[in-house]
Amino acid sequence: MSRNAILHIVLLAATIAAPLLFPAYNAFLATLWLFIIVALTWDMTGGQMGYNSLGNIFFYGTGMYVGAVIAIGMYFPVGEWTDAARSELFLMSPGQYYTGLAVGSLGAGIFCALAALIIGALTFGLRGPYFAIGTLGVAIAGGEIVSNIEWLGGGQGISMPNPPGDFDSFKVLIYYLFAGLGVVLFIFLRWFYQTRFAAAINAIRDDEEKAEAMGIHTLRYKLVTWAIAAFFVGIAGSISAFQLIHFEPLETAYQTINLGIFMVVCVLLGGKGTLWGPVIGAVIFHVFKEVTWNYFLGGQWIALGALIVVIVVFFQGGLMGFFRRRFPEWFGVRVETKGATETAS
Amino acid sequence: MKLTSAIVGALAALGLAAGAATAEECGTITLGAAISLTGKYATNGIHAKNGYEFAIQKIREHGGVKIGDKCYNFKVIYYDDESKGDRGATLAERLIQQDGVQYMLGPYSSGLTKAIAPVTEKYHIPMVEAEGASRSLFNQGYRYLFAVLSTSEQYLASAITLAAEKAKEQGKDPSSVKVAVAVENDPFSLDIRAGVLEDAAKYGMQIVIDEKLPRDLSDMSAILTKVKLVKPDVLIVSGHSKGAATAVRQIGEQNVKVPMIAITHCEAADVTGNFGEYANDILCSTQWAETLKYEDPIFGTAANYEREFKAAFPEYADKKVPYQTAQASAAVYVFKDAFERAGTLDKEKVRDAIAATDLMTFYGRIKFSEAGNNIAKPMVLRQIQNGEYNVVAPSEFASHKLNWPRN
Repeated sequence: MSRNAILHIVLLAATIAAPLLFPAYNAFLATLWLFIIVALTWDMTGGQMGYNSLGNIFFYGTGMYVGAVIAIGMYFPVGEWTDAARSELFLMSPGQYYTGLAVGSLGAGIFCALAALIIGALTFGLRGPYFAIGTLGVAIAGGEIVSNIEWLGGGQGISMPNPPGDFDSFKVLIYYLFAGLGVVLFIFLRWFYQTRFAAAINAIRDDEEKAEAMGIHTLRYKLVTWAIAAFFVGIAGSISAFQLIHFEPLETAYQTINLGIFMVVCVLLGGKGTLWGPVIGAVIFHVFKEVTWNYFLGGQWIALGALIVVIVVFFQGGLMGFFRRRFPEWFGVRVETKGATETAS
Repeated sequence: MKLTSAIVGALAALGLAAGAATAEECGTITLGAAISLTGKYATNGIHAKNGYEFAIQKIREHGGVKIGDKCYNFKVIYYDDESKGDRGATLAERLIQQDGVQYMLGPYSSGLTKAIAPVTEKYHIPMVEAEGASRSLFNQGYRYLFAVLSTSEQYLASAITLAAEKAKEQGKDPSSVKVAVAVENDPFSLDIRAGVLEDAAKYGMQIVIDEKLPRDLSDMSAILTKVKLVKPDVLIVSGHSKGAATAVRQIGEQNVKVPMIAITHCEAADVTGNFGEYANDILCSTQWAETLKYEDPIFGTAANYEREFKAAFPEYADKKVPYQTAQASAAVYVFKDAFERAGTLDKEKVRDAIAATDLMTFYGRIKFSEAGNNIAKPMVLRQIQNGEYNVVAPSEFASHKLNWPRN
């Protein structure tokens, strides 16, 4: 067995064992997987295709709402569920709850993929910073619109049904849902980045005009890539809705300045356009964030700002780029010594 | 070795000399609280935290919590939730799982309480909260959530009743009254709005403006321009402290003339201290007033609470002690009372004791409904008259007459 395969098996085993070994850190580990998912999906367009979206958080928030509306709507009138003044008590059976979780999350993924096709058709004409700001606008508008729809609870947000059974096992379930989604996404991307399709989106990143001149229907590639990313983010959003139990539109669902920016920072930290970069970036970022938030309270945002500045100034290629330059042989790049080059010439 | 024990002995002697003998022998009951120390609710988060700390101090001075023949003092582990719900929920989980907290005090605001309550509920951790008033907290079937305050739809509904009375005095039909509502888009203020709309509908009043304040609550001039055009008879504004400050400042700056203006959080935003004249004749809803005739053995009268609190926290010396502080203290008092009646530290028995609470406090009477909200204490409405807060409604508590119309 190759060293690479052993590494993968060890990591997978750690993923499965983690919540059982560190039950007190369940929520932390689940959020870690959420960060990995949003970072990997952001990199699909940002790193691999050269389209830096600041609006991926739109799919997270929309995933939350779609998941919630489907899960609740299957059994109760949504408008009454979200009415603050209702006196009736709505209770879900465990069967209804888990069906809602499954159907809602899948529905959220599909809805977000379709939304990405529509939003993409409108925004993929924009390039560079215009695309970034355009998609940010979509995310902000999304939050504002949802927060004014009374049927969705408006600014109150939505209180999800209480999870049935013991809370600790529910936390373990949520962890495995996030981890499972993350592993599936990672395996998918490992395969995906070796396909001709991925070569085409890389060509779009490197020179979109040339790619088009070579006969690549660029818009179609861009839409499909973003839709796939949105599918995974939407599912993650829906799982988050069930995890948080109560969420509101502006600061939890469409949280542009938190998760919406953090996902970009994770990718920049780890290294854009690589498979492992977003994963490593998400892990380091999340640990850094938790440590500063716990032990550096009051200065946490300053520490985070400093981290971002350091990444942008000193590690423009991220950690992966840094290591690739320092230790190219780790990446299977053969470095010829100066002497060898001379003989060759 | 000898030296250390000598030092320990000397320190112990000092402690005794300082009169802390009882406190030294008492055990500790640890409470947890995620509270907004930064972010948009920071002002009130700090009011609430001060209220908790003051009550803990007072209870210690009165011999602590007596369970059987042992005594205990409260200690609170605080975390800053940054005024964000998901952060609050994470912190609640950390308090319970990593810090081993068995009892919780509430955060600030309905939104944060909504985010934290599912966590405490699932871990069966009793939470007595003092700052989450939205009715949407009490229709989820929670068993471990208890609130000492009145629910938010009651905050400004009495202003509508007052407006109807005034219309009748003028020989007009109450249905001719025009109401303008501008609220923050959050659980608390939306519930205030719902209460106002329900009461206005009873009188057949017309809602002429129904707007949401912008999300950072720092500018409502566009809404006020509309108010000047439409000329309503009543203007209702709700947006926690920041919304209150913005409203009073801009109402003054834009010279908005409405016969009756009613807002929330006047004391917490210290509108009289900050905006002086501008605040005159504005109606403010309050959960508690230091002039009310409530009393208990720990804090004394409501007036006494205000005096002693100001002595303990000199930064409040030249402003009103906000009710957010008083109700936070009351929440700690509920815990003391429940522990003593339960006679044990067993979580479930304490929960049952809290549910059975029927306690007269300096803050008012506290008795919980099945759903966990306090049903024994009314809201009062005060009017700022020449910089003074005077109770004008409901009539059984009113000490002053309403100044109307406001100009």
